[in-house]
Amino acid sequence: MRHGAVAAVRGVSFALDRGEIVGLIGPNGAGKSSTLHAVMGLLRPVKGDIRLHGTSVVGRRPEDVARAGVALVPEGRRIYGELTVDENLRLGLAGRRARGDLDADLKRVYDLFPVVEEFRRRPAGALSGGQQQQLAIARALVADPDVLLLDEPSLGLAPLMVDIVFDALRAIRDRGLAVLLVEQRAQRTVALADRSHVMSNGTLRLTLGPEDAADTTTMVAAYFA
Amino acid sequence: MRRTAAAVQLLGPVALVVAAALLGTLVSRSTETYFINALVNVAIVVALYLFIGNSGVLSFGHVSFVALGAWTAGVLSVPVSEKPAIMPHALVLGLPLMRLSGLAAGIATFAVLEITHNVLRYWETIGPGVTTFSAVPETTGLLQAGVAAVIAVVVAWAYQHSRFGRLLRATRDDPAAARAVGVSVYRQRLIAFVLSGALAGFAGGLYVHLLPVNTESLYLDLTFITLAMLVIGGTTSLWGAVVGALAVSGVDSFLAEAENGVHVPGGTLDFPAGTRIVVVGALMALVLILRPSGLTGGRELGLGFPRRARI
Amino acid sequence: MIAAVLGIDWRTLADAFALGSIYALMAIGIGLVFGVLRLVNFAYGQLVMAGAFALALASQWGWPVWAGILLCFAVVIVLSLLMDRIVFRPLREQSPAVMLVATFAVAFLLQSIALLWFGSLGKIATSLSFLQRPVTISGVDIRKITIVAMVVAACCLVALVLLLNKTNVGLHMRAAAMDFQTARLLGVRANRVIASAVLISGLLAAIVAVMLTVQTPLVTPDFALRDTIVVLAGVVVGGMNRLVSATLGGFAIGFASGLLGGALPTNQSQYLPSFVFAAVIVVLLIRPGGLFSRPGQAAVDRV
Repeated sequence: MRHGAVAAVRGVSFALDRGEIVGLIGPNGAGKSSTLHAVMGLLRPVKGDIRLHGTSVVGRRPEDVARAGVALVPEGRRIYGELTVDENLRLGLAGRRARGDLDADLKRVYDLFPVVEEFRRRPAGALSGGQQQQLAIARALVADPDVLLLDEPSLGLAPLMVDIVFDALRAIRDRGLAVLLVEQRAQRTVALADRSHVMSNGTLRLTLGPEDAADTTTMVAAYFA
Repeated sequence: MRRTAAAVQLLGPVALVVAAALLGTLVSRSTETYFINALVNVAIVVALYLFIGNSGVLSFGHVSFVALGAWTAGVLSVPVSEKPAIMPHALVLGLPLMRLSGLAAGIATFAVLEITHNVLRYWETIGPGVTTFSAVPETTGLLQAGVAAVIAVVVAWAYQHSRFGRLLRATRDDPAAARAVGVSVYRQRLIAFVLSGALAGFAGGLYVHLLPVNTESLYLDLTFITLAMLVIGGTTSLWGAVVGALAVSGVDSFLAEAENGVHVPGGTLDFPAGTRIVVVGALMALVLILRPSGLTGGRELGLGFPRRARI
Repeated sequence: MIAAVLGIDWRTLADAFALGSIYALMAIGIGLVFGVLRLVNFAYGQLVMAGAFALALASQWGWPVWAGILLCFAVVIVLSLLMDRIVFRPLREQSPAVMLVATFAVAFLLQSIALLWFGSLGKIATSLSFLQRPVTISGVDIRKITIVAMVVAACCLVALVLLLNKTNVGLHMRAAAMDFQTARLLGVRANRVIASAVLISGLLAAIVAVMLTVQTPLVTPDFALRDTIVVLAGVVVGGMNRLVSATLGGFAIGFASGLLGGALPTNQSQYLPSFVFAAVIVVLLIRPGGLFSRPGQAAVDRV
């Protein structure tokens, strides 16, 4: 995959199944976000393929990838601060395929993130960072996606908020979604995810399981490889 | 090597201008006017390029300098060389305006054009009003126009290879980085604006000695056609400015003839009046859509292998 | 009242208000497209001009008024959708300046096509001239079109506010204007949102065409050109980034031009453009983001 004139990501290959969380960790500039952008159609890979349910999504427009069942929680949340919380949630419906049983889905989202229901009428910009992050995930979930991609959801959050977000991800996995979690918080990600790939300089260096979460030396070695 | 490249960047456009002037000596008296006109256009478009191309800021206001130059020259009927009187005007206007960029600059320079046109048209104690400068001697010949176009090209080339030109292009390509190393975006733009305004005024002086002009002919249509020339040629290179001016002038002249009926192999072409601007407009839209960086790709003329644009 | 102090009669005031209303509609048409495309449509006035010619032709052919208005709407909307498809779409990735120059080219193209087709003398649209007649309201003669313009503009504003705030398309348009990429990532279809904005913008251009044709029945190829330039200035002065501020800017510049144009004697009002544009420059220098924009908001080109 090329980013500008420089090949940012090379030879990255991994699979993601329903009901599992795959972690993608690594230092800044490792190519984690570029990988997500390639999946969403924001970047076009020079070589290689990205498949969803066996069909290639390479070359599709971002909105078409979203409507095919892939939801991204972008880096920095990208909440519409001037719109209300409710309007932000309604925007998530743009990517929704099934028209049925919206109320049940909304209820599940509200159960997962009660603040989103509580502050429905407020401008989203008035929420705290952690609340905005919950709204961003809620907005992705109302589209009823098969795959959920998250780009550093814990960035800039207080420890308590990180707990809420990570607990929510566990619940989302148990509901049968495929979750790809891009993170800088290596240890927590490795502990949560079913598999974690360490990425550095645009390639995958190492794959870790939850049992490796305590093994900091391996992780550090992989980071600086 | 670098010196050769710089020399080619100067000699290419100059050679093209000289070739056009020489070609003009070979044709009939009536066709010669088209060549003179084309050369004056080269001067105007190069003036536009000097500012727009190097700064990346759009200006719709340069024709007001052309109009001022034409008016000053028309009133004074003095030798062509005294037209840089426009410089103070450009400085006064540029002082405040150069703080703007993007759309704000586009609209503000447009406002300048509107005001200039409005004042020259109605305020008859200082402007020409609606009368046409028909009494001005038509002294702009092929020689004067050719020399003027070459002067414009040389000035633009010298500027773009000067320290100022390099600094301004740095602000165009990355304003934040340029500011970070201490370049005053404002000052660099102002220098280019003044120089470019002076060149435009100079070209205006030639214009009034070429054709009977009035305030209406130095307004929206001229703004459009000169901008079209720059965009079609390639906004970011001197080579593009010259190529665009000559190419569009050529097409325009041919169509102007064709509106009166022209003989081509296989019959007579006779287009209705107004075809010119339709074709030029369509051409400009097409170039923008298919090749947004212009016919020359916004690159200077170079020898050997095509490279990334150096300027 | 202020009006009496300045020596302005009620009729002038009403006319100025009507002109402001019409300009406000044009400002919305320009602002909507700017919101989703970051494109200043210089050719907006030529859409109005095309609609005006449609009305003039219909009246020349002796069509009933409703048919003429229908033709006007059809022509303007088809033309604006074509403009989007042929010109705007290929240029979406370009800088705002390139797009501005491109619409400038389209404007000239359309104007010269009209020149070729109809000649510089233009055509007269007479079928709506009954709206020029005055009605007397509490002793003041006010032309019907003045009232119609104000009412129509008010209705359009209400409809637009409802559309933007209560429908999904409206929500998508607002989101796209704020952050297009995120909207697309959420599944908002770019082409559909842009087409909707262009469509509404075209509808407004058609409405403006009808009203301007009543005011000025002589339709020439440069019809609405001056108005567009003034509205564009008003929109930039008001603040392009928000539809509300753009609309206010359009209204303000129309109202001010109408008032001054009506109040000043001709030998002074001929300099009106100079004053208006001088004011534009001053405002741009003091507040490049626009007069009615929120302080601290990004300047006009925030791409």
